[in-house]
Amino acid sequence: MASISTLHFRPCFPNFITTRSAKRISIHHRFRITNRISTQQFKQQCITSISNIHHQLVTSIPMPQFLLKNQNNIRSNLPIWVCVAVVVLFASLRALSISRKKERPGSVADLVRRGQLRSDRRGISRNLKYEDPFDNPLVKVNKNKSSVEMCGKVYRLAPVTLTQEEQTVHQRRRSRAYQWKRPTIFLKEGDSVPPDVDPDTIRWIPANHPFATTSTEIGEDFAHKNVRQKHGVPFRIQAEHEALQRKLEALQSEEELNKAVINPTIAKEFERPLNSNARLNDHAEKSSSNNQQKDPLSSKLDNGPNHFESASSSSSSSSSGEDENLKL
Amino acid sequence: MLSLYNLPGTTNLKLQFPSTTHLRHSTTFPKKNLTQTPSKSHITKSLLQWNRKPQLAGETPRVVVVTSGKGGVGKTTTTANIGLSLARLGFSVVAIDADVGLRNLDLLLGLENRVNYTVVEVLNGDCRLDQALVRDKRWSNFELLCISKPRSKLPIGFGGKALTWLVEALKARGDGTGGTGNGNGSGSGSNSSVCPDFILIDCPAGIDAGFITAITPANEAVLITTPDITALRDADRVTGLLECDGIRDIKMIVNRVRTDMIKGEDMMSVLDVQEMLGLPLLGVIPEDSEVIRSTNRGYPLVLNKPPTLAGLAFEQAAWRLVEQDSMQAVMVEEEPKRGFFSFFGG
Repeated sequence: MASISTLHFRPCFPNFITTRSAKRISIHHRFRITNRISTQQFKQQCITSISNIHHQLVTSIPMPQFLLKNQNNIRSNLPIWVCVAVVVLFASLRALSISRKKERPGSVADLVRRGQLRSDRRGISRNLKYEDPFDNPLVKVNKNKSSVEMCGKVYRLAPVTLTQEEQTVHQRRRSRAYQWKRPTIFLKEGDSVPPDVDPDTIRWIPANHPFATTSTEIGEDFAHKNVRQKHGVPFRIQAEHEALQRKLEALQSEEELNKAVINPTIAKEFERPLNSNARLNDHAEKSSSNNQQKDPLSSKLDNGPNHFESASSSSSSSSSGEDENLKL
Repeated sequence: MLSLYNLPGTTNLKLQFPSTTHLRHSTTFPKKNLTQTPSKSHITKSLLQWNRKPQLAGETPRVVVVTSGKGGVGKTTTTANIGLSLARLGFSVVAIDADVGLRNLDLLLGLENRVNYTVVEVLNGDCRLDQALVRDKRWSNFELLCISKPRSKLPIGFGGKALTWLVEALKARGDGTGGTGNGNGSGSGSNSSVCPDFILIDCPAGIDAGFITAITPANEAVLITTPDITALRDADRVTGLLECDGIRDIKMIVNRVRTDMIKGEDMMSVLDVQEMLGLPLLGVIPEDSEVIRSTNRGYPLVLNKPPTLAGLAFEQAAWRLVEQDSMQAVMVEEEPKRGFFSFFGG
């Protein structure tokens, strides 16, 4: 587009002007100059002549036939062209996303690109079962067993000279040097030593130890039982579930009792299309009074970050009770 | 790095492990060596060693703690690579990351996004043991169990006992008995679970409460050390503690060995290390830059194809672990290849 506009307003002759027309223009200009006309008129003449030449060029260049022929077919082939455009767009977007993925810093592809990782060594190995690493083609022992070639490098083999006696001597030395008893009790600094415990078997753990603690929430028997459990629901999940179930049942029974005495909420439900504002106000009053009556904790829970009961404002008090249980 | 039995001057160290049930490469032995070995009824007689499964020695589950005194010597890397090597050999493996504060085994295995439950949740009753086990999708006979989440605290009052219970529960997994549940749950994973052949415990560094917890259920230990004096001093101390605790089957892996530095006498040789510690060798792992790459990728080194030198060494160590074998010869020096043009400097 830029080149076309440049062509339009270029003051000199375009390259594609035929030599005959150029000669005619130059004669025309020479004629005007020799007649000593004013520069303003000369400029005007130039502009008009150039525009005329341009007009002649445009009209003289014939329109390609296939364009003229397809001009009518473009409308009929519009879906095809749309499909082609979509495909091109999709391909370009995909190429863009792949290139971005490759450029992500820290990825393996990025490491390969930067030469940190050799791409030919990224192969996923097969499951080579029972392949003896000693009888590997990469391990070649010479006939007199004095040298070995591994991965293309030749090494001399030296026999191990450690004897059983030497091992025993080392074991005796270590048993003399390192007198150690396995700690049987772990105590936090500041704890009192139990009376019947060997002081050598106590391990003192600092109170601010980064990953070890002497206190535990769960008893040893429970822990042992949990480790041995092979099927079913884990202990803690089961316990939590049962606790929730019990609380839910208790709330439901409480709800039934409330229903037996008075049932103002159900009566209000039918008034919804008539005066919704009044119902909402009533419900807000009711829920606040219920929260205060039931459990002071539930009001705290309702204000929690994951609380959704206040937004949905379900009418039945049983559902609100259920949500409270779930939060526990 | 190879297990060679017929080297001159080699003492047969297999006598110290009466439970050893294999004789790999036994057909290449001279007869005098064969007479020294304990006579077992099921000696490997196969001439062809290629593609045979290593014979599992000892009682299952083999509870192996991978430990060291010093940190950063490669305990977790060794656990991941040996664990997956064992899984590739067809053995059922459970790797327990007992590093409470600084767990990394899940990262090395690329399973960090799948750890939802840990042993702490199992103890608390938030989940069952089979729910806390993370099964590797690459090898379904490999499972990971993390002891705790990084920010949670482990009640160490019964930490050691808890690991013992875990081992017992894993042992009882295949028999279909036990279990205190009410049976109305899904019980997913219990059908496919079997008693593992190996339980590898990745021990934390140091000799703190985590170390004591980790070594409690173990029957044997793999001591990782590097050929430097700081690691060796800690390794000797830890070996002493393990022996005090009753773990007698201790083998060592010397990690990050550089044969070029050994040749220039800038690094202690593996035989020097063995002389100082007096422990049988399970493996010698050369320094390899691929270790870091594999760690970053979450894809252990033994799965690389083509295998690297360190990956091959880990595979050999795993093979020896299965057969309760130890190294009889080590690669101590690099010999330059002498070709025809070497005379001309080629």
